[in-house]
Amino acid sequence: MANPRFLVVDDFSTMRRIVRNLLKESGYAEADEAEDGVVALQKLRASTFDFVVSDINMPNMNGFQLLAEIKKDEKLKHIPVLMVTAEARKEDIVLAAQQGAAGYIVKPFTKATLEEKVNHILKKAGLV
Amino acid sequence: MEPSASAHHAGDAASPGQPETPDVHHKIGQLTRQLHDALHELGYAERLQGTAGELPDAKSRLSYIARLTGEAAEKVLNRVDQAKSQHDHIAAQTKHMIALLVADPVAAVAKGHIMNFLTDLEKANGEVDQHLTEIMMAQDFHDLTGQVIARVVNLATVIEDQLVELLIQTAPPEAQARVSAPASAAAPLGVDDVVLSGPVVNPATSGDVVTSQSQVDDLLASLGF
Repeated sequence: MANPRFLVVDDFSTMRRIVRNLLKESGYAEADEAEDGVVALQKLRASTFDFVVSDINMPNMNGFQLLAEIKKDEKLKHIPVLMVTAEARKEDIVLAAQQGAAGYIVKPFTKATLEEKVNHILKKAGLV
Repeated sequence: MEPSASAHHAGDAASPGQPETPDVHHKIGQLTRQLHDALHELGYAERLQGTAGELPDAKSRLSYIARLTGEAAEKVLNRVDQAKSQHDHIAAQTKHMIALLVADPVAAVAKGHIMNFLTDLEKANGEVDQHLTEIMMAQDFHDLTGQVIARVVNLATVIEDQLVELLIQTAPPEAQARVSAPASAAAPLGVDDVVLSGPVVNPATSGDVVTSQSQVDDLLASLGF
């Protein structure tokens, strides 16, 4: 797949912008954004995405709940979900892995870390 | 407040399987009465009222900080976007000029100083782009500090609610009667909510947390990722 389409989910517009800019710099310009899990699910069900980058601590529907909803939806469960969050407790990382997250990045992170994880997950999913 | 009545009521409500603990309830009732009297005698009721009254102002100030830092971060990101766009143009033109000179070896030799300048400029372009990316990345402070501020504001709300409740309980009965039951709090999130702790402010005192991405990767690797 030449141009995988990303959905960036974070309640802070600053972080959504940073992640989208970093993805663009890494060659992934196709991206949309959502401010919480509820809006993300609506967009995922209304359009086609290949990759989700999601925060965890968000209002209305947090990242764990979004991940669970994606993984129990037959049409969405194939989409890799990379958690990008300030939640640094080991139990949260383990929970994300158990729920089917494709990766986990703790904020603050570097451009290199995001690029490396995204490329690795895309390759593993056969999307590049 | 009817501490004794409450204590007896609590005792009555004990489930059949649980042992009766009238002494404990009686003691709690006595302590509550003593606290109630002490608050009045020491004039703490008024102080509590003042403290409870100041908390909305404190929350408002914190929200103000969160808003201003957010706006500042957005301004920086706007400027970085503009600078990157202009810088991309300069970088592309530099490459183009170098290509033109390289295509004409005679000109490249004759204008060696220009070739050197363009080569230096191309190198500097790469570094400037990295600096701009770092400036953009540094704006993530808004997300991290914003989450911490939100937690402090929530904590202040809880303390405020508890202080108000304490004030109501220590108020004269006629004043209590005038206070309507507090509106129910916002509906809690779903039962499957995880209690999230937000950014780690002090790793040394924050229990079982990771402090670097390599620790995250090691943990995931141990889980088979």
